[in-house]
Amino acid sequence: MIQILAGIQNTTAALQAEQTRLNVISENIANANTAHGVDGKPYQRQVVVFATALQQAMNADGSTATPALKVASIEKDTRDPVQIYDPGNPDADARGMISMPNINIHEEMADLISASRTFEANLAVVKNSRSMAMQTLAIGKH
Amino acid sequence: MSPLSGISPNLPGALPRVDLMSPEVTPLSAASELGKSPDVTSAQPAGGDSFATMLGQMVSDINAQQVNATQTVNALQSGQKVPLHQAVIAMEEANVSFQLMVEVRNRLLESYQEIMRMQI
Repeated sequence: MIQILAGIQNTTAALQAEQTRLNVISENIANANTAHGVDGKPYQRQVVVFATALQQAMNADGSTATPALKVASIEKDTRDPVQIYDPGNPDADARGMISMPNINIHEEMADLISASRTFEANLAVVKNSRSMAMQTLAIGKH
Repeated sequence: MSPLSGISPNLPGALPRVDLMSPEVTPLSAASELGKSPDVTSAQPAGGDSFATMLGQMVSDINAQQVNATQTVNALQSGQKVPLHQAVIAMEEANVSFQLMVEVRNRLLESYQEIMRMQI
């Protein structure tokens, strides 16, 4: 198969990874006030770990491999849950404190913006390589 | 390599080089060979792919890309786990390779018409 857009495979992998990151951030924001997670404890913030994956190029000889981005794992943030004072809450302990998720909504919003800008940058690469291909096809035209 | 094979059959992953300007592969020779014989494949010397074979291969490659794009869009619309950007990029790739095919056809036709206009 001919590969007509330069560097498109790496960009696709990066877009995929950024989308996973956006999903995880949205999960964090959605669960910012979830005091009861699946295990009964407060929800723990999740972070995405990116890694470089060697992606085999489509050449038959398999000699060239280009590094691409992939999501290595989704880890839990190990920071302690936030203790807030809410004596009326049914989950409150003897001192009236309850544990809430270790999520700072401002931090999540900053992450969200960063992820969406990175996504945008990768889209710009796609756009650029498309316009490069179209300009190349116009060689010799007046 | 046959004199007409401007496009190498084993593309190294970049855009195929349509080398119409090199001295041994002139547009005139390409068009005259195409013009004088309706059966282009038989006009080729033995050994090496003919230009027609390569053109056919290119067309089927591009068709495969169109089919791939259609399948990706279908998968996206039927709710499978296909990311949006993958579908759009597949369509874009199909579009650009189609443009490449049209460009090759345009230039072949242009050189053929140049021959037909020649005064003898």
